[in-house]
Amino acid sequence: MEQYRAHLMICAGTGCVASGALKVRDALDVEIRKHGLENEIRVVLTGCNGFCAKGPIIAVHPGEIFYQVVKPEDVPLLVEEHFIKGRPVEKLMYKMPADKKAIPVMNEIPFFKHQVLRVLRNKGLIDPDSLEEYIARDGYQAAAKALIEMSQQEIIDTVKGSGIRGRGGAGFPTGLKWEFTSKSPADQKYLLCNGDEGDPGAFMDRSVMEADPHSVIEGMVIGSKAIGATKGYIYVRAEYPLAVERLRKAIKDANEAGLLGRNILDSGYDFELDVYLGAGAFVCGEETALMRSIEGQRGMPRPRPPFPAHKGLWDKPTVLNNVETFAQIAPIILNGADWYKSLGTEKSTGTKVFALTGAITNVGLVEVPMGIPLRTIIYDIGGGISKKGKKFKAVQMGGPSGGCIPEHLLDTPVDFDSINATGAIMGSGGMVVMDEDNCMVSLAKFFLGFTADESCGKCPPCRVGTRVMLDTLTDITEGRGKPGDVETLLDLCEDIKATSLCGLGQTAPNPVLTTIKYFREEYESHIHDKWCKTGVCRDLCSFEIDAAICTGCGVCARACPQKAITGEKKQPHKIIQELCIQCRTCYDRCKFGSIKIGPGLKFAKAAGASSDAQVGGASVVAGATSVGGGSK
Amino acid sequence: MIELTINGKPVQAEDGATILKAAKANGIKIPNLCWDKRLRPYGGCRLCVVELEGQPRLFAACSTPVQAGMKVLTDTPKLKKARQTVLELLLVHHPLDCPTCDKAGECDLQDLAYEYGKPEGRFIRWRKDKPADVRGPLIELNSNRCILCGKCVRICAEHQGRGALGFMGRGFPTVVTPAFGEILECDYCGQCVDACPTGALVAKPYKYKARAWYLDEKDSICSYCGCGCTLTLGIREGKILRARGEEDKGVSDGNLCGRGRFGFDYVHDASRLKTPLVRKDGELVEATWDEAMKYAADALREVTAVGGAGSVGAIGSHRCTMEDNHMLRRFMTVLGSGNLDYSGAFGYGRAQMAWEQCFGGAPHKIDLKSPLGKKAILVVDSDITVTHPVFGLNIMQAGREGARIIASDFRETKLTRHSSNWLRNRPGTGIAIVNGMMKAIIDGGMFDKAAAEKIEGFGALAASLEDYTPEKVSAMTGVPAAGIAAAASEFAGADSRLIVMSLGSSDNTKSADLVLAVANLAVLLGDGPESVQIPAEYANTFGAWNAGIRPGDGGKSVFSMLYEPGAVNALIVMGEDPVSSFPDGGRILRALKSLDLLIVSAITMNETARMANVVFPATSWGEKDGTFVNAEGRAQRMLRVSEPTGMSMPDWQIIRNLSWAMDRETDIRSIEDIRKEMADDAAVAAEALPCRRFAPAMQPAIPADGNHVLLAIRDVLQHSGSMSTRSEALDLVVREAVLDIGEADAARLGVADNAHVKVTTVSQPHYSVYLKARISDELMDGVATTSMHFPSGRVNTLVGLAADGGASLGVVRIEAASG
Repeated sequence: MEQYRAHLMICAGTGCVASGALKVRDALDVEIRKHGLENEIRVVLTGCNGFCAKGPIIAVHPGEIFYQVVKPEDVPLLVEEHFIKGRPVEKLMYKMPADKKAIPVMNEIPFFKHQVLRVLRNKGLIDPDSLEEYIARDGYQAAAKALIEMSQQEIIDTVKGSGIRGRGGAGFPTGLKWEFTSKSPADQKYLLCNGDEGDPGAFMDRSVMEADPHSVIEGMVIGSKAIGATKGYIYVRAEYPLAVERLRKAIKDANEAGLLGRNILDSGYDFELDVYLGAGAFVCGEETALMRSIEGQRGMPRPRPPFPAHKGLWDKPTVLNNVETFAQIAPIILNGADWYKSLGTEKSTGTKVFALTGAITNVGLVEVPMGIPLRTIIYDIGGGISKKGKKFKAVQMGGPSGGCIPEHLLDTPVDFDSINATGAIMGSGGMVVMDEDNCMVSLAKFFLGFTADESCGKCPPCRVGTRVMLDTLTDITEGRGKPGDVETLLDLCEDIKATSLCGLGQTAPNPVLTTIKYFREEYESHIHDKWCKTGVCRDLCSFEIDAAICTGCGVCARACPQKAITGEKKQPHKIIQELCIQCRTCYDRCKFGSIKIGPGLKFAKAAGASSDAQVGGASVVAGATSVGGGSK
Repeated sequence: MIELTINGKPVQAEDGATILKAAKANGIKIPNLCWDKRLRPYGGCRLCVVELEGQPRLFAACSTPVQAGMKVLTDTPKLKKARQTVLELLLVHHPLDCPTCDKAGECDLQDLAYEYGKPEGRFIRWRKDKPADVRGPLIELNSNRCILCGKCVRICAEHQGRGALGFMGRGFPTVVTPAFGEILECDYCGQCVDACPTGALVAKPYKYKARAWYLDEKDSICSYCGCGCTLTLGIREGKILRARGEEDKGVSDGNLCGRGRFGFDYVHDASRLKTPLVRKDGELVEATWDEAMKYAADALREVTAVGGAGSVGAIGSHRCTMEDNHMLRRFMTVLGSGNLDYSGAFGYGRAQMAWEQCFGGAPHKIDLKSPLGKKAILVVDSDITVTHPVFGLNIMQAGREGARIIASDFRETKLTRHSSNWLRNRPGTGIAIVNGMMKAIIDGGMFDKAAAEKIEGFGALAASLEDYTPEKVSAMTGVPAAGIAAAASEFAGADSRLIVMSLGSSDNTKSADLVLAVANLAVLLGDGPESVQIPAEYANTFGAWNAGIRPGDGGKSVFSMLYEPGAVNALIVMGEDPVSSFPDGGRILRALKSLDLLIVSAITMNETARMANVVFPATSWGEKDGTFVNAEGRAQRMLRVSEPTGMSMPDWQIIRNLSWAMDRETDIRSIEDIRKEMADDAAVAAEALPCRRFAPAMQPAIPADGNHVLLAIRDVLQHSGSMSTRSEALDLVVREAVLDIGEADAARLGVADNAHVKVTTVSQPHYSVYLKARISDELMDGVATTSMHFPSGRVNTLVGLAADGGASLGVVRIEAASG
């Protein structure tokens, strides 16, 4: 292996590629060659670094110098200063928001400081396409240990002892699942990896598959021996082309190196692994639906029992684990159960990866020990609310199956049981942060729209239930809400949870339940006052300029697409209500907070009258025509 | 057995049974809309949710297995509310068009909504109003009424092995539809219609015919194939309006094929004979019963006066009841003639006689359930799912439950598609396949040699198989040697085995020798007669044979009476149309022309009746009481459910009256008299002793002609004999004989899809028929197929009579029809 003076690790995760990482790489290549440094400095494309908000990102080793938001035009300066003159470039470094002080070393940046990397242990350190680099970071040592030195039961005991729970969302103990399946007699067993990450705003699994595909494969090799499977699939959605490409390359390399396939490492164990492309249906992340999908059938869940441990893929005993779960297995085998348990809480051990997104400063991927308070993730790692002056409102955990957690519960420790107690779920680790400008009814509507769209249609509670909930929420956000809607929703939610066939339907009401639980007054205000106080529901708000605050800067007037704002320079402005379309642009632009949100004007006159008069949608259809008044 | 309690009542259930099954067995009703005992649990409708004590969540009873000590609650306020909500949701967008829905009154959704539903709906709703898909011939799909329980999709794919329906779309907009929303093209079994818990699938012939509550339902036995399925007939004002299968009823246990379900309407066909006809001045004219009887009796007397009783012959029928056939036999006995036979001679009789050579003289009964639980099933050159559909379902079910199905057939069929080893042999080479398998078994020592050697004929068998090496068999059949070897070891190595084949009057790719071959294979492997299943062809084929509708001592057979001009001078044909349905119709026509007297009883005017001197109008199935004995040897009573057509009379009465008119006393007055005689006959019948012998069979040479193609006759799923062609409903699916031809042959012979072709037998070039050609990817090169059902097709003139009495396989010339 050749020796280099410095390694430039360019993040080539999907986020950074989108923000131009590859162009930076090209510029670097040119610049380095120009200076004849190609034998001294090596440029490596790595998987996702995690700090997506600051991409493109370059980490320089040695020294762990972190450069952010690098543009191709910065490259000549960077090469000149850092690699020729040896002076790291402060301009490209991370600055503390408070004092603008540059922080050169990656792990001293708050975003990284609080993280503990186990799943993401190789993040930004290796070329995901290089088996050698994975091996250089202790890769496949655990597989060798498991296959050659450990018995099936020892592997299961170690995994059980570690306390690791499935990272797909439900948190079922992984070791237990393996044990059940290992004891299920069959001529063929299967080991499946669930890479069908579908929650809006979640991208942990994609990053792991893209950044460190071998860590998943190694975990699966170990798991295959534990349960006695000789055949496995990684189910990845086709919308993750880079993950698919990297996994395929990794599987090919591992096969060629004897780390996969027949007689792995001369241990006598066989494990054949393939990538199976899903077509992107959210429900195919449900284990029984995923198995049907691999079988070539329509992706619809099946009732359990029989559980996959007895009858899974092609009716053979099958284990399905999440990408992140598999990525944790090798370190557990290598370092032992106690090492793993040393982090986290008693019932939720180890670390968990979260995808931080939404109204937060540091959008990105973070790995933290279980049990750390939500507040630490959102404020210390995430840097708090991105928009100046706005307050934190809630964080949605677990995507469409999860729920929102309000401000007063921010000290909840992040572990399976504590999060469940709030009404949200750990889920696969999506965290969507919302500030005070978010409408919680609209949030619930958004997620219901998602689940209604993604319901497979097999059972009525989910198929029709999500649809009528969506209809009701749409009515509420469009001014047709009526007294009793909240109670009806709560009642329906309970029945849908109780009767739905699979996890999708059983958890679909969670966003509605938690938003009602914590933000009921918002629903009430939508229904009774026809007033969306965040100005999100256009029919239920109006905008006015507070003359006492307005400085007459004119920003709002220039931004208004309707030219509905008039006023003399440096004089308070005014909104012409007849022209206003409630797009909220003025509100978002005004730096002084002079724009005030009032109730929906078209309901103003009727506000005092009987509310029944306007709710056309509530009337039961009488004729044979297709569309009643209420819905679209 | 597992002990548990349901609603506090201690009950027992089989290990592995679901809660729903255990409850059902103990008379506890749990509501459901997607469960069907024939299908694997689906868990879709969520109505069968139950509470388990100590568990917070609800469980679907249809899919949760019972456990010892389980405390199940099926009817609690919590469950009632959950079910109410599910039903409320199902009705949110349901069209509620019950006043115009055929299902109303027997609709599961309606009944459950009535039981659980709330009077008010809480949600915004609108009715779905997609137009119904009325394009298919027999089944209408109304997706507005559909609750997506998936029963139709699953019964079609899982149970029927067809998969003609599927879900399209996702979530709320999901619909059940044929692939790509095209016209439903399927087996037309209508099982989906029975399974549908709402009015989403409607049988078109029944549409707007009667409200369910005005319908009188009576059970009867199907008149088509030898399965003998129980039809639950819906009758109103003396007319049969529909047929359906009902769970737990009869040998079919709720299953029906399209013939049974839709094909009953021939009973009400406009072509039914209403009065007797006698020939006057060369024309058949209407007559009274008295005139016709006198005419027939006088004419018969005249014939017997000249030629003696031996110059009279009679043909019975597999379509007629035991009672009808018995009466005919008694009549011939008192007349003094042994010239009696029926269509069974072409099929079942051949099989029975061959069978007896290996297994002794007991009647060969099948067991419709025999495939279930078997590990290997060999189906030789037979498409059982077409000839005996409900028996075929059991083969398919065995396959689903793990049986290896080895199927030899030249054509791709449902069975070959669902088989684990398809031996695609050339038509007529089944014997070579079976002999080849035996050779491989003997050479490989895959049998109990010591036991087999003790059986009579082993030496001869072994010697006869010398030439059936894998290579030679491969050359004879076109099946790769490895395929035969694999079939042999798989079949011989299985823990339990079954051989199934059919042998019918229209099958020209098989001979009685094939029965010998399969019997040899069974005996070789130490299996008993029950391991060979050759179902009798039609509703009463088995019964008529065992009722003695066979030539008496010195009597003439059908091969003589119908094929040798002058063999008899007078012929009584009861309930049969030999001219259209028996092989070599041209020869039959000539023989019938030579007769002095032809007396025909028939339900409709047919080709044979057209030549008759007297035609008696017979009541059909459904209009008379009687007994059919199915292929299992099971006597089943069928009822008179419909008013007789015109002046028609049951065949037994016609023959009885004829005997009276001739002053030949049979002592039979009533149907009870016949039944008493039949019981007496049965009591004295000697039980034949079973035996086991080998009777070698050799593969005959198959006619070959490089320029022409073999014409194989195959039944069509929607038809049975020629009677079904009188069914308007079945004719909507297939209304004419079609010549199926492979792509390569079609190209070579210049045959276009859907164009007419002239088909001529090479050995008898004066016989030609014109058929519509259909290019099929199911056929191999050098073979064309068609069916013999349609009198108008005259296909039976293309088929000769083989030496063993079956239809013969021949080469035909196919030319594009000009003009």
